[in-house]
Amino acid sequence: MSNMPSKTLLRVDDITMAFGGIVAVANLSLTVETGEILALIGPNGAGKTTTFHVIAGVHKPTAGRIFFDGQDITFYRPDGRCRSGVARTFQITQPFQELTVEENVMVGSLAQHRSIADARKDARRYVEMVGLSDRANVLAKGLSTGQRKRLEMARAMATRPKLLLLDEVTGGVDQKSIPGLIELVKQLRREGLTLVIIEHNMRVINELADRAIFMNRGQKMAEGTPEDVMQRPEVVELYLGEELQHG
Amino acid sequence: MFEPLRPWQWLLVAITLAALAALPLLSSNSYVLHVLILSMIFGIFASAWNLVTGFAGLKTFGHHAFFGIGAYSSALVALHSGLSPWLTIWIAALIATVAGLFIGLPILRIRSMPHVAIVTLGFAEIVRITISNLQSITRGELGLWGIPPFESFTLPVLGEMKFTPADKAGYYYLILVLLVFSTGLITLLMRSKSGLALVAMRDAEDAAESLGVNLTRHKLLVFGVSAFLVGLAGAFFGHYIGILTPSAAVGPDLMILVIAMALVGGLGTLSGPLVGALVLTCVVELLRDLNDLRLLIYGAIIITVVMFLPKGLATLGPLVRRRITYLRAPTTSPAKHL
Ligand SMILES: Nc1ncnc2c1ncn2[C@@H]1O[C@H](COP(=O)(O)OP(=O)(O)OP(=O)(O)O)[C@@H](O)[C@H]1O
Ligand SMILES: [Mg+2]
Repeated sequence: MSNMPSKTLLRVDDITMAFGGIVAVANLSLTVETGEILALIGPNGAGKTTTFHVIAGVHKPTAGRIFFDGQDITFYRPDGRCRSGVARTFQITQPFQELTVEENVMVGSLAQHRSIADARKDARRYVEMVGLSDRANVLAKGLSTGQRKRLEMARAMATRPKLLLLDEVTGGVDQKSIPGLIELVKQLRREGLTLVIIEHNMRVINELADRAIFMNRGQKMAEGTPEDVMQRPEVVELYLGEELQHG
Repeated sequence: MFEPLRPWQWLLVAITLAALAALPLLSSNSYVLHVLILSMIFGIFASAWNLVTGFAGLKTFGHHAFFGIGAYSSALVALHSGLSPWLTIWIAALIATVAGLFIGLPILRIRSMPHVAIVTLGFAEIVRITISNLQSITRGELGLWGIPPFESFTLPVLGEMKFTPADKAGYYYLILVLLVFSTGLITLLMRSKSGLALVAMRDAEDAAESLGVNLTRHKLLVFGVSAFLVGLAGAFFGHYIGILTPSAAVGPDLMILVIAMALVGGLGTLSGPLVGALVLTCVVELLRDLNDLRLLIYGAIIITVVMFLPKGLATLGPLVRRRITYLRAPTTSPAKHL
């Protein structure tokens, strides 16, 4: 992305998300440039997932605006945002239990295709891309955690997004399969996708992210290159120290 | 379910249809026909309820409202306007559709299923009480009688189709055609893109929405289609039975019976509600003479099926088949892990 003229794909403008008295996100602003991978980091309860929910339309922000690809999408419903080009995965995976892996991905393909047969053909590509071809006809409820994370990615990719939000794809996944997931994300970026990733795994952040934003108690505390952000004293104190202690 | 039908499945459908079509030629026993006609009315009702609850996951318990609205609308329009029941059953189905969309709209916003259940049940009670109290029009619990029957007509091979209490063949063929229409419509819907979206919505609503599924449109679609079919079944019921009372046409026990049919047959399957409707209608009829014991045996049958076949009688076939293939090839490949 260094020699590409940078163009802002997503602009989150001063959003606040309050649930009753709990302010989960407070006056957060951020931008995502086309083609980059931005990492959102921070301790548990920092408001990272809530930020994703607001970008994807699950929650309407209490205040603030969201611009995507030149449009104000603040009041779009989630399905409308999907059609605009925003896709996401869920931290707690949400497979369609009674559908097969392939059918799960077909749901993502539906909007792109007239017939169910075309959607099926299309879905196969994404199932293969995430390495689940041998499980294509298994019901989603029979998948392991790692496989579910991959399924979420395939489903989201099948909607042909411009922006993909990945919420802890490596969370709860065994160490062996992390390199495969990193490779998969790299491949998505090579295909021209812009990504925002929520991650706790430092190795993953260092390998993937161009930029990182550190959040704490709903607020943005630091922003910069991953190396830079992780050396900030407040980040070390509030987040990394704790991580180191817990191993 | 989203795969194309296999040849043996087509064959099974064809054989069942041929057997059902041939039945009145073999036996003109009007009691047998009566039980089958009731089974098919309930078959449409249970399938349509299953569309909303089993496939789309919206737990509604007020579908008997649409049955009653269909029954009373068709009967009253036919009585007062002089229009033929052949026409009024469709008008009634459309009226039920409008009622379905009307109650569907507020339900869209409710994400908690217990609340959906209560709201729909309450709606049906309002419909029942309204019909019961509008005595000048519906005659209330005294019963609306003198409902015009379908006019007879002549078919090439089968001869004259009469619609009288003594000769039930006409009713039998008509409800069979309506059942095929209803099952065909539900099958086409479920095998379309919308069908996939509905099941996705049932299994994980937020995920479906994030993948571009318009929840509002799909919920209204199933509610409309389902209310239409239930209204149609109700309309036919009125002209068939000839007399309507609020408790028979909109009573909550009607809904409970239909829920039991869908559960016993298999919720979320295409054939389950049809099988359940046939089995339970027969059980109810067979036990009719047992008076008090009836409900006990009836309850015991439902509990037994639900306990031993939690997914219903419709899953019996695949279960047996799987057992057989398992016995033939006991070594299954170990599941590959990521
Ligand atoms: N729907 C909701 N209603 C009330 N409070 C909420 C809701 N969603 C999130 N919160 C609160 O907002 C805060 C931020 O939660 P969020 O899930 O965004 O954190 P997170 O940064 O994703 O944490 P984690 O790393 O544990 O996933 C938490 O205190 C949470 O309890
Ligand atoms: Mg989170």
